[in-house]
Amino acid sequence: MAGPLQGIRIIEMGQLIAIPSAMKWLADMGAQVIRLESVQRLESYRTDSLYHNEVEGEFWNRGANFYEQNRNKLGLTLDLSRDEGRAVLRDLIAVADVFAENFTPRVIKNFGLEYAELRKMRPDIIMVSSTGYGFEGPWSNFGATGPATEGAAGLAYMTGYRDGGPMMSEIPYTDYTAGEHTVAAVMLALMHRLNTGQGQFIDVSQTQTCSATIPEALLDWTVNGRVSERIGNEDPAMAPHGCYPCAGDDRWIAIAIDSDEAWLALCRVMARPDWAADARYGDVLSRIRRRAELDMMLAFETRGHDNHELMARLQAEGVAAGAVVDSENLLFNEHLKARGFYEVVAHHPATGMPPLPYASRPWKLSETPAVPPRPAPIMGQHNWELLAGLLGRTDGEIAALEESNVIGYAPLTPRGVRRPSLDEQVRQGRMQKYDTDYAERVRRWFGVGDEQSRGE
Amino acid sequence: MSSGALAGVKVIDLTHHIAGPYATKLLADFGADVLKIERPGGDPARRLPPFHRDEPHQEKSLPFLYLNTNKRSLTLNLKSEQGRAILLELLADADALVENFAPSVMPSLGLDYDTLRDHNPRLVVASVSNFGQTGPWRDYRATEIVEYALGGLMYIFGAYDREPLKHALSQAQFKAGTNLASATLMALYHQRLTGQGQRVDVSIQESIASALRDVTNNYTYTGAVRRRQPNHTGDLTRLRAVSDGYVLPNPGLGASVDWQILVDFLDAPELDDPRFDNASARLENAEALGEILDRIFAAKQKQDIFYAAHEKRFIYGVIDSPEETVDNPQIRAREYYVPVEHPELGEINFPGAPFLMSGSPWRVESTAPGLGQHNGDVLGRLGYDATQLAYLTTAEVI
Repeated sequence: MAGPLQGIRIIEMGQLIAIPSAMKWLADMGAQVIRLESVQRLESYRTDSLYHNEVEGEFWNRGANFYEQNRNKLGLTLDLSRDEGRAVLRDLIAVADVFAENFTPRVIKNFGLEYAELRKMRPDIIMVSSTGYGFEGPWSNFGATGPATEGAAGLAYMTGYRDGGPMMSEIPYTDYTAGEHTVAAVMLALMHRLNTGQGQFIDVSQTQTCSATIPEALLDWTVNGRVSERIGNEDPAMAPHGCYPCAGDDRWIAIAIDSDEAWLALCRVMARPDWAADARYGDVLSRIRRRAELDMMLAFETRGHDNHELMARLQAEGVAAGAVVDSENLLFNEHLKARGFYEVVAHHPATGMPPLPYASRPWKLSETPAVPPRPAPIMGQHNWELLAGLLGRTDGEIAALEESNVIGYAPLTPRGVRRPSLDEQVRQGRMQKYDTDYAERVRRWFGVGDEQSRGE
Repeated sequence: MSSGALAGVKVIDLTHHIAGPYATKLLADFGADVLKIERPGGDPARRLPPFHRDEPHQEKSLPFLYLNTNKRSLTLNLKSEQGRAILLELLADADALVENFAPSVMPSLGLDYDTLRDHNPRLVVASVSNFGQTGPWRDYRATEIVEYALGGLMYIFGAYDREPLKHALSQAQFKAGTNLASATLMALYHQRLTGQGQRVDVSIQESIASALRDVTNNYTYTGAVRRRQPNHTGDLTRLRAVSDGYVLPNPGLGASVDWQILVDFLDAPELDDPRFDNASARLENAEALGEILDRIFAAKQKQDIFYAAHEKRFIYGVIDSPEETVDNPQIRAREYYVPVEHPELGEINFPGAPFLMSGSPWRVESTAPGLGQHNGDVLGRLGYDATQLAYLTTAEVI
């Protein structure tokens, strides 16, 4: 049986990552997820980070982030500012198990889509609202992004180099933290419904999900009244512990020495028996006290090594070490390949895009694996299927919805973001480098279109 | 005994440290009956700082106390025959076994999945490990920083011209723990419908690598390898220093916006320039824009600009310290921090519900258990009397 969630229907009014990523994982596991969008308001993930960086033609069906977050979903366009649009949504909710959204509560209230209203359409509905700061409270109507909640939760403040200010990751990190907790929350609600027959309202605060993952820092404040300083890549209980330079341009290795045995193994691999014999580094406390000195010594030694080769030699001796992999290394990684982590998804023919690999999920279920992957919907792709097939609307009714732009197949005001040329992006430092043979390398590694490449 | 979403779900918890315990905490906090099985020396997380009032003690580690709310503790030496026999007795009517040993450990104890399934076909056996239960790196060793490196998040994290950086604390562990909870719940849902158990395999590396937005797509879509970003990227939403801290400006600009609104809001006529008035132009003139923005923000104040921005429906954020976040008006209004009475340590203010569920709420009914606190109770129910308990103790089985 593919997917443990066969038979669950989810209506998603999502945007960007927090709700879309969570619903994607539920869709992967068999739920039918119907994603709503509108031709009036084009989501920014349809306008930026485009295939081949081209804004000509139907670019809105070629956005990387849209494909990344919306696999295995059905797509329906719907203008919810109109009565006809809201009528369709009401009919959908009446046959749904879950309604998931991540707009500000103000928007949801304006559309009359609060949980109390939804229950009238479907008494056992599960509604999940994912917001930056929570559905209720003085900040509830403040819009938020991942970086904002990484800041509000306390995580960004704790993160950064020892001698610098707060830092955050180059992705909206807490969108995923919220998304991951949302998957758990929806599953809890589905379990509760199995037990009791009851639906419920789930209020996910992105800030709270992030704070839930930094208890060390928060309890140190609430119990001990202390706020620790930023310590970069250091670990209070290990040394050496950090990120060290390797041969090549911007190549690095992370090494964590968590025992005396690991320290001796590191000395062996680095061919420094003098370090191993030196009593000043003989136990963990001594090493921690001489952390800065050890970091400099080790960085001097790692400099000449290839980071993947050094990792393999250190791991063979039982040392926790990892090359700092970039996106190219990740894609062409033997281990992830053996686990089938990247899944090749075939795109809709209208996009002109070849099948491409996408990150799948961090879990494998032996008896109920994920469903075979289908790409995110092109705009309005399932309008007819859903309106006629699921809701029984007649051809005439659907044509009327098209006529009045309540549904549609392209944005009314398309405007894509053209990124600078790859040369310019490299010059500015946004990108490390670019390959020109990438398409062929991807094809070969993932075994896509083998027949064609054999014929070349 | 339990209420909540997982009333009646019985979990045998062999996890230790952070990733596994966070998963079983999520299950326990929402009503599952979680029996934590510790090696006789205790979960190593009992030695994790910081400690309650800085007193190192196995019952006073604050992360341990947080990670093990609502659980019971049984000590059991799984390397002894009797210890394994007791585990199998406990598993006979359990719904799930959750563990985060290195992948070689369970089979070496004679507790491989096939054995467990034969013993109880309904059992969900859920594992989280550094690189998953299969593959050439299965037995690689890792800590938090190694997961950041091999998961792909570290390379794009930190200053452009410095070494890559990781988040503070234990994000990879918590992320994987959350995913383990989700995947276990999916398997439990299937079990409730069909009576069938299964194997759940969660990878910490994949937990990082599956949450990187378009980083790998940059390569498959254009051939470009993304790196740590320079300070000036034409991106209006980068973290900026203000006079009394840091803010995350975000005017909510998509591809279409009235640039003039932003110019007016920042009171910065120098931005009223065609080099900056659309997204594509801003990317071309990124460095010049970044320098101007740095200068403008340095004169602002954190709270002032944050609230002023939200009046305009811009989506600005603030960087708050732990002290500030605990005191945040929104966090206070939502009563996020929950005072919990600990029998020995008194009241502790814990971070509370990650999400609010109206029908089956999060709650703390008990603080983390003392080491072996429920030995007598659990084994008594299995029919062991006082003499036998004493024997198991002296034989170092419990």
